[in-house]
Amino acid sequence: MIQFSDVSKYFDNESALTDINLSVEKGELVYITGPSGAGKTTLLRLIYRAERPDAGSVVVGGMDVGKLKQGEIPSLRRNTGIVFQDFRLLTNKTVFENVALALRIHGIHPKEIKERVNEVFGDIGLKHKMHEFPQHLSGGEQQMVAIARAIVSKPTVLLADEPTGNLDPDTATIILKLFKEININGTTVVIATHHEALFKGTGRRVVYLKEGRIQKESIA
Amino acid sequence: MKTLSFLFQTAAENFWREKWINALTVLTIAVGLFIISTFALIILNVDVTLKQWSKGFGLVVYLNDSLTAEEEGIIKKYLKQDTDILEINYISKDQALKELKQSLGAMNPVLEGFEENPLPASFELKLKREALEPFLIKKKVGQIKQITGVADVQYGEKWLSSLNSLSEGMKIIGIILGSIIFVAITFVTYSTIKILFYRRAEEIETLKLLGASRGFIRLPFLIAGLFIGILSGIMVLFTLLSLYAFTTSRITELIPAVKAFTTFFPPETYPLLPLGGAAISLIGSIFAIGRIRY
Ligand SMILES: Nc1ncnc2c1ncn2[C@@H]1O[C@H](COP(=O)(O)OP(=O)(O)OP(=O)(O)O)[C@@H](O)[C@H]1O
Ligand SMILES: [Mg+2]
Repeated sequence: MIQFSDVSKYFDNESALTDINLSVEKGELVYITGPSGAGKTTLLRLIYRAERPDAGSVVVGGMDVGKLKQGEIPSLRRNTGIVFQDFRLLTNKTVFENVALALRIHGIHPKEIKERVNEVFGDIGLKHKMHEFPQHLSGGEQQMVAIARAIVSKPTVLLADEPTGNLDPDTATIILKLFKEININGTTVVIATHHEALFKGTGRRVVYLKEGRIQKESIA
Repeated sequence: MKTLSFLFQTAAENFWREKWINALTVLTIAVGLFIISTFALIILNVDVTLKQWSKGFGLVVYLNDSLTAEEEGIIKKYLKQDTDILEINYISKDQALKELKQSLGAMNPVLEGFEENPLPASFELKLKREALEPFLIKKKVGQIKQITGVADVQYGEKWLSSLNSLSEGMKIIGIILGSIIFVAITFVTYSTIKILFYRRAEEIETLKLLGASRGFIRLPFLIAGLFIGILSGIMVLFTLLSLYAFTTSRITELIPAVKAFTTFFPPETYPLLPLGGAAISLIGSIFAIGRIRY
């Protein structure tokens, strides 16, 4: 599903990622971990073409995403659910509208949008705050909404950047359960986190990044 | 279709959120459109006035003294064939003298020195408006002069051509002024939409990351631009209508005859103002948004 081949990425001549070779199969759930500044976010951004590799290639669903034409990028991103590390919720819309937006971009019928958004708010247990604005929610709640927006469109690939950074252990467990569910339904899931507790004992593949290089891979 | 209505809603929300910038833009565009359309209205009225006046304008064909009634009839027949001539009025020698005496009034005795009536008989011709172009008239005068029995042809060449050039001049000024204002209005919308676009830069970035197409991102801005233009046009239309009604009622109170000369744009052209405003601001908006890059 996702294939990194000899990928390097530089920012102002500083290397952020070096010689990354990584393959994630369709239907897999993978953790990317490593200390701050290791390059986790950058690695994810390469997958949805927010960055282009300076060397090597990133192939997603058979497409070399670094070589996509401008007009082909929206469709790549529509098939990718993304939980941004900084949430990126729109402050002038209620959290309901924030989540609905992902479906509107897909051109889904308003009636179905309402049903699906309601459902996902039920899943994350935030139905009672559905019509609040994001800035009136706690950090953890905002994170839940960001996750809801990423999964509501049932994407082919789900990329979650530090999705439990603001969550208490119990809520984190709920979220992980959601990811597992969506994964069972066929979505390929990549989770970037420096919380080792999150994947410990899950039996999933874990990729360790350090200073932009893959240090090791193991099964948690 | 559903997405479209969502984008319209987004445009409306954005429009309301930035109501002060938008109101200012609507007002600025309205001022520009107002100047253009006021100018057009003045030109229209000058034209109508010209037309009204020139209805009474014509050529005077003076005839030789020696002509018999039959010969005069032949000339009249010839003139009748000319489709540019709307009306032919025969003024006999006696009639001419009578009219002259009337207009001289107290100076009447001046004419007593003449033993014979010195005035020639004439045909007064009224011409079609289209035939009143100075060079066309010159041609016609030349033709009529060729007719045997015609002594002379007189016409108000200077008067006509100066009126015509006044109207032409105003049209040229109007076009130049209009183009300048057109560019200015386009630029105003361009800047506004650009500002609105930058103010939403963060939101637009998020939309892009969520996979929104260019149309999805751009359409609300184009709709907003369109709306601004239409709103300005409607405002100007109503301002102009009421201003026109007010001014003409005031003027006709003073000089009732003016009523025959004043006109407003015909109702079927009313939509041109909102449409024109919309077109101009749409162009500005399209330039402002430019190409969306991912
Ligand atoms: N847009 C950018 N411009 C310049 N440097 C950047 C940019 N994005 C990332 N970097 C650099 O690339 C390196 C990797 O950053 P990245 O955000 O991928 O780390 P991370 O593993 O996600 O860290 P964290 O756990 O703190 O989120 C860092 O040294 C960072 O300074
Ligand atoms: Mg990061």
